Amino acid sequence: MTTETRTPLVQMRDIRVAFGGVHAVDGVSVDLFPGEVVALVGGNGAGKTTLIKTLSGAHKADSGEIYINGARAAIDTPRDAKKYAIETIYQTLALAENIDAPSNMFLGRELMTRWGTLDDTAMEDAARTVMGRLNPKFQNFKVPVASLSGGQRQSVAIARAVHFNAKILIMDEPTAALGPAETAQVSELIQQLKAEGIGIFLISHDIHDVFDLADRISVMLQGKLVGTVNKNDVTMDDVLAMIIVGKLPGEVTQAELDELH
Amino acid sequence: MKLWTKLLALLAVFVLVVAACGGDDDDAADTTAAEGGGDTTEAPAGGDDELIVGVSWNNYNEERWAKSDEPAIKAALEAGGATYISTDAGSSAEQQLADVEQLISQGADALIILAQDGTAILPAVQSALEQGVPVIAYDRLIEDPGALYITFDNVEVGRMQARVIFDLVPEGNYVFIKGNQADANADFLRGGQQEILQEAVDSGAIVNVGESYTDNWDPAVAQTNMEQFLTQNNNEVDAVVASNDGMAGGVVEALRAQGLAGIVPVSGQDGDAAALNRVALGEQAVSVWKDARELGKAAGEAAVALASGSALGDVSGVVIFDSPGGNSMTSILLAPIPITQDNLNVVLEAGWIDEATLCQNVPAGSVAGCP
Amino acid sequence: MEVTDASTTPEGSTEEPEERSFGSLLRATEIDTRLLGMLAALLVIWVSFHIWSGGTFLTPRNLWNLSVQTSAVAIMATGMVLVIVSRNIDLSVGSMLAVIGMAMALLQAEILPDWLGFDHPLTWVIALLAGIALGAALGAFQGFIVAYVGVPSFIVTLGGLLVWRGVAWAMASGRTIAPMDSTFQLLGGGSRGNIGALWSWVIGIVACAGIIVLLVSGRRQRIKFGFKLRPLWAEIMLGVIGCGVVLGAIGYLNRYFLPEQVARQRLEAAGETVPPEGVEIAFGLANPVLIAIGVALVVTFIATRIRFGRYVFAIGGNPEAAELGGIKTKLTIVKTFALMGILVAIGAAVQVARLNAAVSGLGQLTELYVIAAAVIGGTSLAGGVGTIPGAVLGALVMQSLQSGMVLVGVDAPLQDIAVGVVLVLAVAIDSFYRRRSA
Repeated sequence: MTTETRTPLVQMRDIRVAFGGVHAVDGVSVDLFPGEVVALVGGNGAGKTTLIKTLSGAHKADSGEIYINGARAAIDTPRDAKKYAIETIYQTLALAENIDAPSNMFLGRELMTRWGTLDDTAMEDAARTVMGRLNPKFQNFKVPVASLSGGQRQSVAIARAVHFNAKILIMDEPTAALGPAETAQVSELIQQLKAEGIGIFLISHDIHDVFDLADRISVMLQGKLVGTVNKNDVTMDDVLAMIIVGKLPGEVTQAELDELH
Repeated sequence: MKLWTKLLALLAVFVLVVAACGGDDDDAADTTAAEGGGDTTEAPAGGDDELIVGVSWNNYNEERWAKSDEPAIKAALEAGGATYISTDAGSSAEQQLADVEQLISQGADALIILAQDGTAILPAVQSALEQGVPVIAYDRLIEDPGALYITFDNVEVGRMQARVIFDLVPEGNYVFIKGNQADANADFLRGGQQEILQEAVDSGAIVNVGESYTDNWDPAVAQTNMEQFLTQNNNEVDAVVASNDGMAGGVVEALRAQGLAGIVPVSGQDGDAAALNRVALGEQAVSVWKDARELGKAAGEAAVALASGSALGDVSGVVIFDSPGGNSMTSILLAPIPITQDNLNVVLEAGWIDEATLCQNVPAGSVAGCP
Repeated sequence: MEVTDASTTPEGSTEEPEERSFGSLLRATEIDTRLLGMLAALLVIWVSFHIWSGGTFLTPRNLWNLSVQTSAVAIMATGMVLVIVSRNIDLSVGSMLAVIGMAMALLQAEILPDWLGFDHPLTWVIALLAGIALGAALGAFQGFIVAYVGVPSFIVTLGGLLVWRGVAWAMASGRTIAPMDSTFQLLGGGSRGNIGALWSWVIGIVACAGIIVLLVSGRRQRIKFGFKLRPLWAEIMLGVIGCGVVLGAIGYLNRYFLPEQVARQRLEAAGETVPPEGVEIAFGLANPVLIAIGVALVVTFIATRIRFGRYVFAIGGNPEAAELGGIKTKLTIVKTFALMGILVAIGAAVQVARLNAAVSGLGQLTELYVIAAAVIGGTSLAGGVGTIPGAVLGALVMQSLQSGMVLVGVDAPLQDIAVGVVLVLAVAIDSFYRRRSA
């Protein structure tokens, strides 16, 4: 699929996940290189989120292998994923609504004082530093995140991923809850992170976003990988055809293309 | 979660439940089938000429029945030449209906029933009476005038409590610690107490300075309430009429905190070991004791008389008791015994309590009955 | 992690203009307004009962009584807050109290005397530690079934309510176990189980110093990171009010003196002569109250200052997020129930020591009082929200109602009605307040 000879940051090989008798992910292989954005697209229930959960440790794959920097990786829990510097921004944001932003950012990885107690001031300080970079207007560090706006909560989820120096970032619909200005901010952030050599898996419904941000596009349909294409080699119509008809550019007939419009 | 851990957890729960039930099955097993409810253990031994008395326990899994009541019933039946058979309904009113039928079909000539539910049992009682099998309502009322009701006189218990306290404190401030408000016995007891004290209350010799029901007869609640009464009256409380021994224990602790234990007399009932010890120590004035063996003996003797063809009214010691349900019940109302420092030998001689328990911490020679 | 509504720093309140009012004054001090509301409600209850009882309720003696009577429920309510915050419930605390109380009583009244003799100095320690170990085990066992087997806690602990009650009965065949070891009895208060006036003052001064240290170190920490500070006047006011309340309460409670004859006995036992005009020996803080205060401080620390507490709140806020954050949620739930069990054991020790007896009916309905205390104290049954001081205040509110009504001669059935009404009212006001502030 790809012509690059470098070692991929992530290789997912022949991943399968079944719920009951349904194959949610059926033998999918994708890979990700440093400084690259790979978009995962497909309709509802195509299996994108399930695939990515096997990488973030939220769900164990039934079979298949994951390689990080060429070495076989065992990812069974979210803790395992974090050991490999894999950070995830979930579509649901995965925030505990009742606690404040710094506590959420550091959930599971709290900063401690030398007495073994929580160092809330240090965590607030770190949160302010990261937020200063992501969303300088954000100031509500001491209120439960339940009282924050959608955009502010998104910032918290992103700040959590960024703070821990992710090498591999998974973003599941990062702009779904955002207005145009905030969406632009996220795009800017993604460019910035790319430049730092971070590999990003981006799940999105928005084909325009995908074309703006991604380097390569992997299309899934009914649990299977339709194919992975370089953004520069294809048109939006090509990708839409992959999503809906499940055929690669060139395979698809003019009649099928006409039906799309 | 792996399957084996789930199984392990379930097993642990099961073991605990069995262990929880286990303690009493040992006692029950030799006389009554603990499981399955309706099985009888001893088949009728004799022919038609021998008397058979059937006993239907509502729930044998309570210490008292096996320890005191059953041996007394058995002994009385043996003395009267009758055979004992029994069933255990396991706290099920439905099961008890079937149990009664079964006892009759096994040839019982008289029935002793400790009713789970005094109303639900009525069809079985009526059917027994129609078949000519006399019925004794044991300890708990069955609202059928055809049955013989044998119990302790709860109103008399209240009178005895008040009498002992009144003799010690003929005038002064009284506190009344009553039982659970939902329990009719709480009011029977209070009624008996009032009968004795009414005159002194009317004359102003006795002042009621605090009166309270006690949720679930809970000693801790009684203690808290007593603390409040002492606070409100600035410790000017001269006597406490508590309706049972557990609550008396709470009252005595509240008094002790004010240095009043042993100074202010307290009543109780049940003959609890801890309470009898307090009586010996002088911290509690009286514990009214209902000797379950007397109850069993009376029931056994009455059963033999009824099985032999005696009419209800001809059984010795019967009185007419007007029940809350409006029936005139032919009844045997046994008098309980007030245990004070003067007659501790009664509980010792009856084997109700051993001397070491009764006399724990009692200074030598201070009380008759203790060494 | 306590959720406070008043903690928005002025620079953070970009969405609402700052008000110049009593409210902004409160906000400057960053005090939990809900807690203040509860204190106000408590004050109203106290003053009403004081008037109604003809001046008895607010006497040092009655407040001392109240403090002792509240202790056991307050101790257990602190644990119930964490259980409820983690989206669980424990209905078995009353029955567990009976089992553990019975175990501790049997141990000291019947088992240990065979080995050590009566009133051995070690008896009370062994009994107490065994009770705490049993409590931790029972709690962890129930927590294990909840977390790892996946049976809802309502069901597991409802089962526990029945099972443990039966076990308590079976342990002694329904007998009353008494008396307790004479040292163990001190855990329950009474005329001997208290620390006297001098030590009460010492505790008060230590508490006062603690308040000041917390304020100063908090301010230092914020200066170190360059965060917005509370105004200095607010800090000083908090310190003065905090110390004033603590020392005032101790001074007032120290006005409750031992009854004449007890004081005489004590002096005579010490070989001192009793002055003819009588003596005034203050009770001082009672042991169960000290235990309750200690427990409340420790559990507050657990809830707000260490990982475990933060995880409990995170699980209550969003179990999925907690799991994705890498928290061992199941183990955390087991620990929560084990902690509840330990606190039940401490509550049982206080209760049994105070009653100087164990009965199998011990602790009936206690689960409901403990849950009610937590809920009146602002703990949300939906999980995620609750504070330890709130639960302690909740326990105090309920006991004030009950003790006060006994004082003025209201009988048990009406007491139940009043407590029930207050429970619903408290939660109704709280949810109204939450909706408005949301």
